[in-house]
Amino acid sequence: MAVSQARRRFAAGGNSLLVSVLVVAAACVGYLLVDLHRLRVDLSADQGAALLPDTLTKLALLDRDATPVTVTAFSGQRGKQESYFKDRALRDLLDEVDFASQVVTVQFVDFDKERLTAEKLGVTDYSTVVVQRGGARVDIKDRELFKRVGKGEDRHLEFLGEKALDRAFAQLTAENHRVVYTLVGHGELDPDNHDLGGLSEAAAVLQQDDYKLERLDFIRQRDMAVPRVPDDAAALAILRPKVPIPALEEDLILAYLAGGGALVIAVDPESPVPSILGRLGVVIPSGRVLDKLLVFPYPDRPVPRYKSHPITRDLSEDSLVTVVSGVAPVQAAVPPLEGIRNTIVLETTRDGWIDRGGALKNGQGLYEPAIDGQGPATMAVALEVSRDSGLVKKGIGRVLIVGDSDLFTNGLLLEGPGNASFVLNSFRWLIGDEARISVIGGAKKARRLALTAEDGDQIRWLAIGLGPLLVLVLGVGVWASRRGR
Amino acid sequence: MIEVSRLTKAFGPRVALDDVNFTIQKGEIVGFLGPNGAGKTTTMRILTGYIPATAGIVRVAGYDVFDEPYEVRERVGYLPETPPLYPEFSVGEYLQFCAELRRVPKAKRATVIGDTMERVGLRGWERRLLGSLSKGYRQRVGLAQALLHDPSVLILDEPTSGLDPAQLAGIRELIQSLAGTHTVILSTHILSEVDALCPRAIIIDRGRVVAQGTLAELREQAPGGAWTYVEVRGIDGPRLGGLPGIARVEPLPTVDGWAAWCVRSSTDPRELLAGRAAAGDFQLRALERRAPTLEDAFIHIVGREGAQA
Amino acid sequence: MSSVTTIWKKELRIYAVNPTAYAFLSVFLFLAGLFFYLGVTLTGEASLRVLSSNLAIAELFILPMLTMRHFAEERRQGTLEMLLTAPISPWSLVIGKWLASVTLCALMFLGTCVLPIILAYYGNPDWGVVLTTYLGLLFVAGAFCAAGLLASTLLDDQLAAGLLGIAMLLPFWLISRAEALVGDDLALKLQPFGVLNHLEAFGRGIIDSADVYYFAAMTFTFLFLTYRSLESRRWR
Repeated sequence: MAVSQARRRFAAGGNSLLVSVLVVAAACVGYLLVDLHRLRVDLSADQGAALLPDTLTKLALLDRDATPVTVTAFSGQRGKQESYFKDRALRDLLDEVDFASQVVTVQFVDFDKERLTAEKLGVTDYSTVVVQRGGARVDIKDRELFKRVGKGEDRHLEFLGEKALDRAFAQLTAENHRVVYTLVGHGELDPDNHDLGGLSEAAAVLQQDDYKLERLDFIRQRDMAVPRVPDDAAALAILRPKVPIPALEEDLILAYLAGGGALVIAVDPESPVPSILGRLGVVIPSGRVLDKLLVFPYPDRPVPRYKSHPITRDLSEDSLVTVVSGVAPVQAAVPPLEGIRNTIVLETTRDGWIDRGGALKNGQGLYEPAIDGQGPATMAVALEVSRDSGLVKKGIGRVLIVGDSDLFTNGLLLEGPGNASFVLNSFRWLIGDEARISVIGGAKKARRLALTAEDGDQIRWLAIGLGPLLVLVLGVGVWASRRGR
Repeated sequence: MIEVSRLTKAFGPRVALDDVNFTIQKGEIVGFLGPNGAGKTTTMRILTGYIPATAGIVRVAGYDVFDEPYEVRERVGYLPETPPLYPEFSVGEYLQFCAELRRVPKAKRATVIGDTMERVGLRGWERRLLGSLSKGYRQRVGLAQALLHDPSVLILDEPTSGLDPAQLAGIRELIQSLAGTHTVILSTHILSEVDALCPRAIIIDRGRVVAQGTLAELREQAPGGAWTYVEVRGIDGPRLGGLPGIARVEPLPTVDGWAAWCVRSSTDPRELLAGRAAAGDFQLRALERRAPTLEDAFIHIVGREGAQA
Repeated sequence: MSSVTTIWKKELRIYAVNPTAYAFLSVFLFLAGLFFYLGVTLTGEASLRVLSSNLAIAELFILPMLTMRHFAEERRQGTLEMLLTAPISPWSLVIGKWLASVTLCALMFLGTCVLPIILAYYGNPDWGVVLTTYLGLLFVAGAFCAAGLLASTLLDDQLAAGLLGIAMLLPFWLISRAEALVGDDLALKLQPFGVLNHLEAFGRGIIDSADVYYFAAMTFTFLFLTYRSLESRRWR
């Protein structure tokens, strides 16, 4: 009897304190667990609140490296109305970066109040962001963060901070000296040639990212017992060989790819096609790519359309044209071979086609269904080759196949507004440096509320007066109706 | 219907109920009698499951109050000491809520509420706010609340307090009409209440059951049992007390110049007194044999201080 | 479930006929309007950011006052005895009362809907952000109402219960502003407990599972303690 009473008390009342403490503790532990795997839904317009996938990739790269990064943002000038937007936009960005990264510490500093911090960093302007990593440092200025867009009534401030921060991260993580080899010995484009058909300009473009362009000649590779692609190769370029590459050398190239290598292969109409392409499921049909949309006045320069790919992303955003000349069609297998992922990079418009001779009109080609191939025609395709293909043994092999070699040459690099970016981005992608490809989007609009004094008065009455008054009237009504019952 | 055995309740070091035992049969109306602070309200709260017992077993309507509280609660109607009312509600709104709370089926709610209001004499009071009701009407609404779901057991804590005599009669009649079908336990400290309503009573004092039984049984416990009331002239106390067979006399207030006495004796002294008076020994105006009152018994059982507290 | 609805309906009815509820509602709307007006004129921006953080603090003071009467008053009136001897579980009672309070809060927020409409008339607000802002405020309301209910079971005097509720919630607000009071390191460790820290992402349009959990856990914990406190009273 006494025992059962004791049990009852314990079950129903006596251990009340213990259970309560346990529940509180469980709630706290639960938070730690939830905090480990956060899920986020962004309901703001264009998902503008969360960071872009590219920024997240970059932050993940920073985390992997584990070198601490600090981001210090300074407030806008106090008293200026747009400073509220500037500060808030910066704070929100810092919060998101802080949330997404382990190694990045963020700090928002009131420029007016905390002069000391500003002086220590040598910052003299409002709305400046300082990014530091190791001994390196990048400053982002107000004008890189905010841009005035639109005209007249619609003129407003835009926040481009995410993009700017992204570039800063990329600058700070750049590694030194990686070698891009370009195959020679079969009449390929020559990196030391400074003429219009040479690659010297491309070498200069790659220098921007600290890539070095060097020749690779298997035959003259005397310092090696067995010829092979050197270990320090970041990528191998095969740019329009004029004679077929011997099978022995192709095997060396395949061996390089098997180790997770990166290849860019450019061909022209009627130039020999390396048999590697066949292994990758890519065919170069006869004919040349033409389009009604042409770079005036050249009949053989169709304007390529950028398909969605890291290489073309900022090109299509800035609408810069990559100029090509005399393009061979590139056809990737549909469906792709097992273990290979194809992405079209450059394509004609829907009016394009593969021209195989026939009539001309005003010196330009004409689409003749009987002999020509139907458009849109692909001009460049990017492949990601995984182990399932049997071609790669380690990691992912990346291959870019372009139906035109001219776009890499000095002549078109200087002429085409987008060519330099295309070349640089191509190698960035091949080498796995997407982090450097600048992010598009992520601009946040200031949602201005332009109020006249009259509007202000109206809002004051609507916001402060109306609601409370209505509720009070309602309350008095209810009270009166029930009084005296 | 209600079984209480070895019930003990302690609030910290203070023992409010100590080994209380009683049983109430189905259909009985039982008065729960005791001075204030004796433990009546505590017992009732334990019976309804509002507070748990420290020890002992309490079964109501066949279910253990502790183990199957919801079975018990469904079968019990409870009127606490202060009627549980929301002052901002009208009578109708309040009973509507109680009916929902007690899971009276929706279809039957209106009729049940109407009938119950009729029974407790609240007809036409639907729209009155509870906050504006007098004590008597509040008590009626509280009673209506307890009766709404037609419980088999009714536990009423001081159901008639604050009622005027006319209302009192009505409520008593109502409670009496429940006898047989409902088991009613009602607490009170007013003796006449028990006298009028309950065939049986349980007397509790300082947490203990000090007596229980039918009213006749309880009366018998009054000291000295039955006595004789006389009004006489021409005889004083010592002489009256000295008559043969008379144990003791106690003076009562004089009535119209006649001396009133309480005469106690082991046997009925009426024949003797009447004979003496007829013989001219003294003048006799009233001669009446009286049974002990419940009050006598109560005072005797709980002690004079207790009864007045 | 039906008993929860019964309690919920009853509580809403009591709110509806009680002039004090209207007074609080009106104060709430006034404050909301004021914060909105100040925020909009000072920042010149079509957003509810300024409103939401200030309104959360207003909730901290108003909601315990709205929930203080729940158990304290029932006990004083003796109605708690009726509810706890009715065939419903104390959980239904706690949940029903909490739901009623949260419903009232939702109605309060509905009353402030005129503010985003004003924004839409004069500017171009981000509706997704408006939605998450309100969602965040509702989460805050749920947690604060639960705390208010707990305070209401602890003290018999309703005003004292209201003040206790505010006192219980104040730390959750102050932690968000802890940097000024204690060192930076400690402030950083305490941050996960701060209410404003968890409201912040909602104000930007982001629903974060950790924030949702924070408010859900806070609500549940307070409701559980309310239930326990209600039960333990019967044991004393």
